[in-house]
Formats: sequence, C-alpha cells, structure tokens
Amino acid sequence: MLRAISRGLVPVLLAVVSVSAADGPVIKFTDVKLKNGLRVIISEDHSAPTVSVAVNYFVGSADEKARRTGFAHLFEHMMFKGSENVGPGEHPALIFTNGGSMNGTTNQDRTLYYETVPANQLELALFLEGDRMRSLDINKANLDNQRGAVQEERRLRVDNQPYGQTFEKTGEQAYDNPAYKHSVIGSMDDLNAASVDDVATFFKTYYAPNNAVLSIVGDLDPKKTMALVEKYFGAIARQPDPKRPDLTEPPHTAERRSTIDDPLARLPRLDIAWIAPPSQTADSAAIDVLSDVLSSGRSSRINQVVVREKQLATGAAIFAADAKGPGLISAFATVAPGKNPADVEAAIYEEIEKVKNGPIADWEIEKAHNSARRAQAAQVTSTLQRAVQLGEYAMFYNNPNLINTRTEQILKVTAADVQRVAKKYLTKENRSVVTTMPKAAAPKGNQ
Amino acid sequence: MKRQGLVVAFVVALSIGAAGQQPPPGAQGGNPTKAEGTVLKNRAPVNKEVLRVTLPRPKEADLSNGVHLLVMEDHRTPQINFSMIIDGAGGYYDPAPLPGLAGFVASLMREGTATKTSEQLSEQLDRLAAAVTVGAGISSPFANVNGNGLTTNLDTVLALMADVLMNPSFPQAEIDRYRTRTRAGLMQNRTQPAFLAQERLNKVVFGDSPLARVAPTPAALDALTRDALVEFHKAHYVPDRALLAVTGDITLEQAKAKAEAAFGAWKKSGAPLPAQTETAPLTGPSISLVVRPNSVQTSLRIGTLSIDRKDPDFFPLTVGNRILGGPFGRLFEHLREQKGYTYGANSGFTSSRVKGSWTASTDVRSEVTDPALTDLIDEIRQMRDVPVPEKDLTNAKKAIVGSFALLLESPNAILQNYVDRYFYGLPADYWDTYAAKIEAVTADDIQRVAKKYWGADRLQIVAVGDLAKVEPALKKLGAVKVYDAEGKPIQ
Repeated sequence: MLRAISRGLVPVLLAVVSVSAADGPVIKFTDVKLKNGLRVIISEDHSAPTVSVAVNYFVGSADEKARRTGFAHLFEHMMFKGSENVGPGEHPALIFTNGGSMNGTTNQDRTLYYETVPANQLELALFLEGDRMRSLDINKANLDNQRGAVQEERRLRVDNQPYGQTFEKTGEQAYDNPAYKHSVIGSMDDLNAASVDDVATFFKTYYAPNNAVLSIVGDLDPKKTMALVEKYFGAIARQPDPKRPDLTEPPHTAERRSTIDDPLARLPRLDIAWIAPPSQTADSAAIDVLSDVLSSGRSSRINQVVVREKQLATGAAIFAADAKGPGLISAFATVAPGKNPADVEAAIYEEIEKVKNGPIADWEIEKAHNSARRAQAAQVTSTLQRAVQLGEYAMFYNNPNLINTRTEQILKVTAADVQRVAKKYLTKENRSVVTTMPKAAAPKGNQ
Repeated sequence: MKRQGLVVAFVVALSIGAAGQQPPPGAQGGNPTKAEGTVLKNRAPVNKEVLRVTLPRPKEADLSNGVHLLVMEDHRTPQINFSMIIDGAGGYYDPAPLPGLAGFVASLMREGTATKTSEQLSEQLDRLAAAVTVGAGISSPFANVNGNGLTTNLDTVLALMADVLMNPSFPQAEIDRYRTRTRAGLMQNRTQPAFLAQERLNKVVFGDSPLARVAPTPAALDALTRDALVEFHKAHYVPDRALLAVTGDITLEQAKAKAEAAFGAWKKSGAPLPAQTETAPLTGPSISLVVRPNSVQTSLRIGTLSIDRKDPDFFPLTVGNRILGGPFGRLFEHLREQKGYTYGANSGFTSSRVKGSWTASTDVRSEVTDPALTDLIDEIRQMRDVPVPEKDLTNAKKAIVGSFALLLESPNAILQNYVDRYFYGLPADYWDTYAAKIEAVTADDIQRVAKKYWGADRLQIVAVGDLAKVEPALKKLGAVKVYDAEGKPIQ
C-alpha cells in the first residue's frame, strides 16, 4: 500500500517542522499531490477521537459569468443532491446519523465543504466527498429543487432584513471589476436563469481534483488515510486547469457616494469601503494591525471616541476581510438616534487622520501583536479550523505553512508601517460611502 | 479585526443542500409540486460501531468562601478561561418595576471599578489580548463573570476579573452612555422578525413569569438609577452559591491557589437563594400575529411549555425532538426538501430548574404561509398520532450518542455539561449514564411525550409578517390576536 502511494504522489512539501515566534504548538502536516492534481494535506492530532475533512474548491462568486450572479452558491447546494452512489440528501443524513456535523459555504474566492466526524467514520466522510467530486448527479429536478431554498435564503438574509440591501450596494459601488462587484447570494433573476447546462459546465470546469485541496486533520493514521484518499479520489479525472478570473481593480480617482432608503430600518447607518490590496501581499499585515488600532476591542479608537466619547454611533467598527483579490477595508456605524450621519462620517475620518499623523502608542501595536499570538494559540483547539486554514492557505497562496508563520508577519509590523498604509489606502479617492436612511419615520414610542 | 477561521466574506452564504420546487419568476408561491426529498442508496461505507466515549470529569474543590471550583485541564494550548457563575444574579431576579436591571448591572460592572476607569480596564486587557466580560441573561437565574487570556497573563487577568466582580463603581457618566446606547438597541430589536416572534411567543407561553422577558423595557432604562445598580450588585453578587468553572493550561492545585488569592476577599452573605416559581399552566391554544410591514417572509413559531431539567421525560423528549426538528429532521425534510417553502425548519426545547419552552420555527415566503403552517401543524400531529418507525428511532439515538465524540474537542463544552449537573442537581454519574438512557427510549415513550407536551390544546401559534398575506391563513385556525411591531394589540 505504501509503495502504491509513493508511486502516485508528488511531494509538495515534506513533513513541515517550523519554528514559530508565537505561542502555541507548531502544527505539523504533510502536503502531497495525487497524480490527478488533487492536493492532499494531512495533519495528525490524537487529542480527541475526531477528524475533520475539508474540501476547498478554487471557485467562488468571482468566477461567475455575466447574468449568472449567485451561481457558485447555487451550485454548492447541488453538491448535497446526490451522486452515483449517494442519494439526494443522503450525505447530510449519513453524517448526522453517525454523530458528525457538516456544511458547505461559498464566498467570492472559494467554495468549501466540510465534515467533522467521530474518528471511526473517516472513511465515510472521504467516500462521500470523493463520490460527489467524481460523479455529481446533475439534472433539472435537482436544480429546480435547489433554487427555491437559495431564494428563501436570500429572502431570509437580505430581503427581509434591515440593511440587507446595504451590503449589496456597498459592493456594487466600491468595485468596477465585475468579479467582486456583485453579492455572493446573487439576484433572483439570475438564479432563475441558471440552467442544467450551466451546472454541467461548472462542475466539469471547477470541480476537478486539480482545482481542489483536500485537508484532513485529527485522530488518524496518515498511511491508512492516504490509502483511503487514493481509493476514493485517485481515479477522478483531471481537467484542464480553469482560467482564474482577473480580479484587478483599476485605480480609483474619485470618491463614490450614495444614499439609499430602507423601509425595514429604524436608524441610519453609514458604510465606508476602501479598496485594499490582496491578502498576503506586502502591505497586508500592516493593514491588519491598522484595523486593530482603529477598531479592535473596547480600547480601540473608533469605539472610545466615536461611540463612547462623542456618542455619535451606537456601534461602529472597521475591519479588513481576507480576499484573494483586492478586498475591502470596511467601516460601518449605526447612527445614534438624533445624530447626523455626516457627523459620524467626519468623526471616523478624524480618527483615521490621527492614525496617519501619529502618534500611535506602543500599547496599541502590542495589542495587535498579542491578538495575533492568541489567535495562533487558539487554532489547535479545533480540527475543523485547522483543516480549513491549511486548505485555504495551500490553495490561495501555495503555502499551508502560513498556519504557523502568519503571526510572524504581524509581529514585524511597526507604528510607521501602520501610518504608511493608512496614508496609502484610507484616502478620499479610494473610498466608497453608502448612507442608509430609514424610509418611514420610526413609529412613536419603543415600548 | 482580522477575520480568521470559518468566516466567509461579505454576504455570508452558508448553506446545506436541497430545496423545493422552483417558483416561476414573478409568480412565486402557490402550490408547488412535491419534490422527492431524501433518498438513501445505502452504498456508503459506514462504520457500524458507534464510537463510545466517556466524558472526562472535571476536578473539583471548594474555596474558603464557599465558591465551588471545577477544573477541566486542557494543555493543548497556553490559554486559560475562568468563569464565575453566580446563581441568583441573573435577570430572573429583576425587581418587578425594573425588568432588565440584572443585565444593566452586568454591562456596567465592566465600565469602571474603585481604582480603574472603563478605558483603563479596556486598555490593560486588550494589550494582552485578554478579556473580562460580564453577562446576565434577561430571564436566567445566573450571571457570569468571565476572564480569559494567555496563561502567561493569568495573574493580571484574574486580578482584573476580581476587581470587576467585587469593586464596580458604576460611574454616572457610564450609566448615561449606556442608557442612550441601549435605548437605540431596543429600537433596533424591533426591526428583527426573530425578536418580534420570540417576544410574542414568550408572552403566550410564559405569561407573567420572568421567563417571558426577552429585552428590558424603555421605561426600566429611564427609571434606572445608580443606587439600584449598587444595591442589586451588593445583594446578588455573593459567593454563597457561585461556581468557578476553569478550563485551560492549569491544574486544580494551581487554579485553587490562584482563585483563593484573587477571590478570597469576596465574603459570604448568608442570604438564601431567592426562589424560582413554576409558570402557570397553559389554559388553551392561541394564535397571535405580529404585523411587520414590508416583510417578504412570514416567521412562524409554534411553542408550548416544556419540562424542568430533572424530569425523566428529558430523554424521550430529546429523541422525539431530534426526529421532528433536529438537523435534517422531519420539519426540514418536509418543509424544505420536499416543499421548498423555506431555507430552514427546526425545533428545540429549553429546561432549567423550572419548566422551559419547546418551539418549532421556520421562516417562509409570505405567499406560502397557509400551506407551510398547515404542514408544520401536521408534522407535530403525526408525532402524537403515529409511533415513530424503528429506523427513525435508531438513527436519532445514534446521532445523539455518536456526537458525544465531537464534544471531546472542546473542554469548554464538556465542562458546561458538568456546570449543568451542578446547578440542576443531577446525579454524579449523570453524564456516564446519559447514552444508555438515550438508547433506552422507545417509540411508545416518544408518542407518550408527544401527546403530553405537543397536544393541540397546548400549542401557541405566533406569526410575524405582512398583515394581508398572513391573517387569512391564521383565521382559518381560530381567533387571531393582532399586534403591531411595538408589541401592542391593534385589533
């Protein structure tokens, strides 16, 4: 068995042992590719009798064609509707019945499927993932079956929620490149337009072993696990590598602004988005620390000044989301009753200018460093989190060992770095502002 | 704030498979054709053996001031988590004119002590990536003061935690700020269909009991004084019945010594625990509609009184509820997988020293309110009228027993089980015998509890949504009480 494996595998990185500057144990793993291009990452951890399996496919809403918004996520639902040896709904039924948990999730850049199971059900999880990667059951009944749930999901999360439309407007206005411009959930019209042919093409193009990373973490025997991986994934045919979407965002030259009315909201809300460079590029760690200084914890400047001291907002935050392409540095604030959104906006900019022009206290940088250290220490407490992170780092950056080294990048960031990136990205030209106003006057009394 | 782990970007699009018939564009709703639902091919390599685990027990000790200590060691990572759970300091014990007072006290304890301002506390904790938080459920008997951080900062975290616990100063300026922000939060609550549904359902199930509370009232916020905060803190934050639950990279001996040093000055009051009383029995079914203009979905809830935590019916009710409304249970299968009315449908129950509630929930597009409600009621009826098939019973038990293995990844989750055991007075071997008690449940047991708790005369129906689209469906079932989004009757 071992010989068969070693013949079929291309080592990407051999068992990694890295010295980390941060707290917490180093996470060891192996990283190989099957002949069909499937990247397989395995990390042993016998502290609990559980194992997590994550399959990351390198496809998200950024890959969607025009007039097919929401398709990557609609497709994700199809993955639970059966394959050659698995009936519709049987995958979740088997996982839950045998004590496990599972789900799927889609974002702009990737679609992720995962299971956490009692360790003696590892083969079940690998069988289920392998069968649908190899032989998804694609038919009109299944597709029609999925559309309704996705459309109800959209109603639940967007159309029936205050500020639901705000999220979509923020992305639409901030981006010119269609890749990140539309929401992951997509429009009702585009969901209705999706066809069986779309599903078949998408499956063949993107759900190929060479476009996926399988990561397995937990109470497992690496050799036996690799044998099972070969058994259930080894024969799946490779496809031509899909073309990656162009995520480049042309430089912005002028501020973008709009105001929208929201009949479900009762308080105004302010959303500001600045275009950031892709994650894991030169300025990324400094942007992380910048967002910590401005907005992490109760001690942060935005909370202390805008929320507490000036009492302009009932809540406000700034965060930088991870993205393969140009992500957003996003700020939002719920405007306090009787206060003006323009004053909230001005107060946020004032805090940003203070960061740009200094000083930044040592403790503010220390806070960001320690926060990264603690996050690293915490990651060994969940096999699922490790499986997901190893897979994403391998897929996006060809570097699963970022799970051990990412903290080091943060620890190198200085106050001067923070000021430099604040000046570079948090500019008027680079920002997009959406103000949401309650459409009807709030009813009298709040009893 | 950097997002790590299982966080997806921007619009969170979490999903699990399946749905129903596609409604034609522009004409959604109506009467979709029934879809196939789950099909089992039974070809997957399932390990027939349920992986049986024994939950490790926490180590226990008593502090000199009467606080009981539970320690669940977890040496995987250099972190510690100390939770002081104070029985008698939760919102259940709010004085009647000030519903929400316990929550106000908890929130404001973190806003300054005799020697430190709110800003100083935040700065000291944040720079260490540590946290001290205080919480008190609005209808719960418990408050919780929590301190957590890296093990290297244990002494600092415990000192700040003890300071917040014992010496809050309740500065007037912080009270005023809190009042303004919380008032806005109460306004925001009323934009959420889930809040409106919970508020109404709790009223019809729990009546005048403190268990009905879901949020403080604006009147209580207005009436809040510093004296009321100080008085509540003094009377209710006492060690007499407190439990200190510790997980992390620490031993019992170390935790005990550190806790004695940090909390030794916290003295017993000698006052007895104030009583909790059972909710008055339900007098019949009811139907309520909360009008939320511009809703595109109807939030449907069917609820009733359940059981207390020591009731032996806990086991059949757990298995029966799993079959009806657990993950991929009948409600999900029928309302989503077959009919396509909703993104999700489930049920669950609460239980504590007194009877809690049981609730079935789903949110459906407004146009299918009528058939979705009919199906929801019918699924509950079938649990009463038809014994569950052997296969459903076996699968539900396997799912519950099998999932115990997953708990072993989380010492915090295991410790929570022992916290429950402590406060609800469950037997010492409760978690050792739990699996056997689940496995002993029969189809007859489930039908018996379904009849007992889910009888038609006990079910309270609540809908939140568009008046014109929802009211006709409800009226078919009986008299409907209609409320506005402020919770006031409008008919």
